[in-house]
Amino acid sequence: MIPSDHFVRFYNEVFKFLDEKGGLEDYYREISRHQELHCLKVFTENGLKGMYDYWEHIRIEENCDMELKLGENQLVLQMRKCPSLSKVLDNDASPCLKYCDHCPGWVLPLLAKCGYSCVYDLVDRTVPQCRMSIFNRLEDARKFLNELLASGRDPSLLRNNFNCLEKKGTTV
Amino acid sequence: MLRYQENGELHMDFHGTTNTTLNYIAEKYGVDALKTILRKTGHDVYKSIREKLAKRDASELLEHLNWFFYREGAEFKLTVGTDEIRFEVMECPAIRHLKKLGLKPSEHICLQTSEVNAGMCEGTPWKSSVEKKGPSHCVQIFRREAKA
Repeated sequence: MIPSDHFVRFYNEVFKFLDEKGGLEDYYREISRHQELHCLKVFTENGLKGMYDYWEHIRIEENCDMELKLGENQLVLQMRKCPSLSKVLDNDASPCLKYCDHCPGWVLPLLAKCGYSCVYDLVDRTVPQCRMSIFNRLEDARKFLNELLASGRDPSLLRNNFNCLEKKGTTV
Repeated sequence: MLRYQENGELHMDFHGTTNTTLNYIAEKYGVDALKTILRKTGHDVYKSIREKLAKRDASELLEHLNWFFYREGAEFKLTVGTDEIRFEVMECPAIRHLKKLGLKPSEHICLQTSEVNAGMCEGTPWKSSVEKKGPSHCVQIFRREAKA
């Protein structure tokens, strides 16, 4: 058994293997489907408050230093010290350069499935910090993304699920 | 002393993601690819344990087994002989948690143990094996070969 405490270091090895095969995106979709077990019902039924409750539970169980701000139309998760990337960096195995991509990789499709827009700012792949902003209105998410771009944020570190939502043709 | 100090809360749902990952890699890339990833995890991530084993020092391996299975709430028996370590886990915490989540344990789940342990032992005088006693009950065995 790989201890829960060391899972992310195994995850890192999986990412390195899949990156070489060009298989990361497909794997993220599989993990997103798996995460529906934990998130789909609570996100769909309880909306932003359900998401707040889920990530608050994660904050405690995964020992995250993060702040959650719940508003009427948006939820912001500000990760000040991500335990996952921190462990991958504190590791005798080398880190996968795309390690951070797995979070938006599973979160964005799942939120789109629930009808929510999300802008994910990875901030810096070598620093365990990131910011996720979830909106119940697509126009608010677009406006926020434009503000981030205008402020000079690196576009290569920004992710969103607008295409998924447009394909789905609906928001909450 | 453990290379990776872990004392905080425990997120056992990671066993669910591991289970999904074992199935995904085995189905898409084959069981040999899965074994390679797991063995590399054992070899590289647990470099500190491996390097001590190479010097005939099993102290970190023992501490690792004792601490992390304790944290996962496992009932286990650790028996240390001169040239053999036996670590019997009465009910695997990963399988127990998967059942709690309503997930079927992957048919590859025990490779986590056998391949990661094999990776830890690579290039050392130790050889690992696993005796399955039941669906979630096993004995991890580490045997030290005689000095050349």
